Amino acid sequence: MLRLYLQASFSRFADAASKAGCVALALLLSFVSSNSVVAAASGKSGEGIKLELSPRVCTLSADDENCDTVVTAQWSAPKDESLCLLIVGQPQIRQCWENHTEGVYTVRLTFDRDLLVELRDLQLQKVLASEAIAVIKEALRLRRKRRQPWDILS
Amino acid sequence: MRNARSARIGCDRAFWPLAKERDDFTVHHTLLTAAFLCLLAALVPRVSAAEDSCSSPSPECAVVGRFELSVSLGAGQRSNPVQGRSDIPLVVIPHISWYGKRFFLENLELGFTAFENEQNTLNFIVTPGYDRVFFYRNDLQNIFIAGGSALTSTGGGGYVAVDVPASGREFEVRDRHTTFLAGPEWSFDYRGITGQLNALREVTNEHEGYEVRAALAAPLIQSKGSLVASAGFTWKSREIVRYYYGVDGLYEPGSAFNPFVKLRYSHPLSERWTLNAFAHYEQLANAIADSPIITEDHVTTVFAGVVFKIR
Repeated sequence: MLRLYLQASFSRFADAASKAGCVALALLLSFVSSNSVVAAASGKSGEGIKLELSPRVCTLSADDENCDTVVTAQWSAPKDESLCLLIVGQPQIRQCWENHTEGVYTVRLTFDRDLLVELRDLQLQKVLASEAIAVIKEALRLRRKRRQPWDILS
Repeated sequence: MRNARSARIGCDRAFWPLAKERDDFTVHHTLLTAAFLCLLAALVPRVSAAEDSCSSPSPECAVVGRFELSVSLGAGQRSNPVQGRSDIPLVVIPHISWYGKRFFLENLELGFTAFENEQNTLNFIVTPGYDRVFFYRNDLQNIFIAGGSALTSTGGGGYVAVDVPASGREFEVRDRHTTFLAGPEWSFDYRGITGQLNALREVTNEHEGYEVRAALAAPLIQSKGSLVASAGFTWKSREIVRYYYGVDGLYEPGSAFNPFVKLRYSHPLSERWTLNAFAHYEQLANAIADSPIITEDHVTTVFAGVVFKIR
C-alpha cells in the first residue's frame, strides 16, 4: 500500500517536474531568443534612424523657375550613430556627426527639381536614410505667340 | 486744339499741283509684290503644320501670365529719308511682351485674341501710328523699334528742317500728335508660311485715317539657325499721308502703298543668347516720297547683333 502511494506520488512529482521543466525551458528559450534579437538589433548600425525635412514640398508658380528656400533636415536615432548628411546634386553640402543620436542641419538652397537628402555612413557607402523635397511646378499654360511677319524684328 | 507751326518750304517744289489726289495703290506695285510673294512661296520648303503645338516655352510659345523681356545689342542703322536728318544708329533695342489667356501686350501694342486654332488667329489690336516717330525724337517707338515706316528721327522736336524758299513764302507744318489705330488682325500659318493682315482705323480722333498692313514670311533655311524671308506692304489712306507728310496749302497727297522685303537670320547660342541679323527695305510710295519734307524714296534698316533674354 505504501509502495503504491509512493509510486503515485513520485509519478505526480515527475509530471509536475516535467511540466515545470518544460515551462522553464520555454521561458529560457524565450529569454535567450529575445535577448538575441535585441542584441542583433543593437548590433546593426543605422537601423531606426528617422530623417525629417522641412519643407516637404516646394510649389513653383508660373513665374518661378527655382525653389529658393531654407531647408532644414532633422534626424534622430535610437543609439549613437556616426553618419553624414548629403544632398544629391549639391556636392558642396556635407555635414557629418560622430556618435550622436540626433542632429539638425539648416541650409539655404536653390533647386528646380526634387531635392534628395541622404544620411550615409562615414565612408559614404551605405545609405542609412533618405527623404526628398518634392518640387511641384504649377501647370504652365502656354499659348502661341502672335505671328508678326510685318514687324521688323520678327 | 492743334498748335500750328510754320515752316518754309523749298521753292523748287512750290509749283506742284495742290489737292493732288494720287493714289499709289498702283498696278505696278501690286504686281511687283505679288510676283515676289509667288517667288517666295516657290522657294519655301514644306514644313509640317504639326510643329505649331505649344508644349513648352519657346520663341514661338509664351507662358500665359509671364512677362518676357529681352534686349537686342548690336550695330545697325536705319536710313532717314527726311530732309536734313541723318541716318539712325541701332544699338540697343528692347522688347517686352506679356500674354494672358486672351489679352496680350507686344511692346506698345495691346491685343485681344478672339479666335485661335492651329492655323489661324483673329486678334483685335490697338497699335500706335508709327509715322509720328518721323517727327519726334522722344516718341516711345524710337525705343521699341517696330515695323513699317517707323522712321526714327534724330531731331529734337516737331519741326521739319527744310530749305528756305526763294520766294520766302511760309507754310504751316502742323504738329503730329500721338495716335492709335485699332482693328482686326488675321494671321495664319500654312505649310510653314506665316501671314498677317491688319485692317486698322485711327481711333484717337486726330485724322481718322485707315491703314492696312500685310506680310508673308517663309523660312528659307531651318536648322539650328533659321533664315526667314518676308515681304509685305503698308497701305495708308489719304488722311494718314496728309496728316504726316502733307503741307497745308502746298502739298496734299493721296493714299500710299509702301511695299517692303526683309531677310532675317537668327541662330540660338544658348538658352538666353541668340545671334540675330536682319535687313529690311521699304519702298516709299510716291505720295510720301514726293513730299517736300522727304528726300529719299525708300527706307533701309540693317542690324546685326545678339538678343539677350532677360526673363
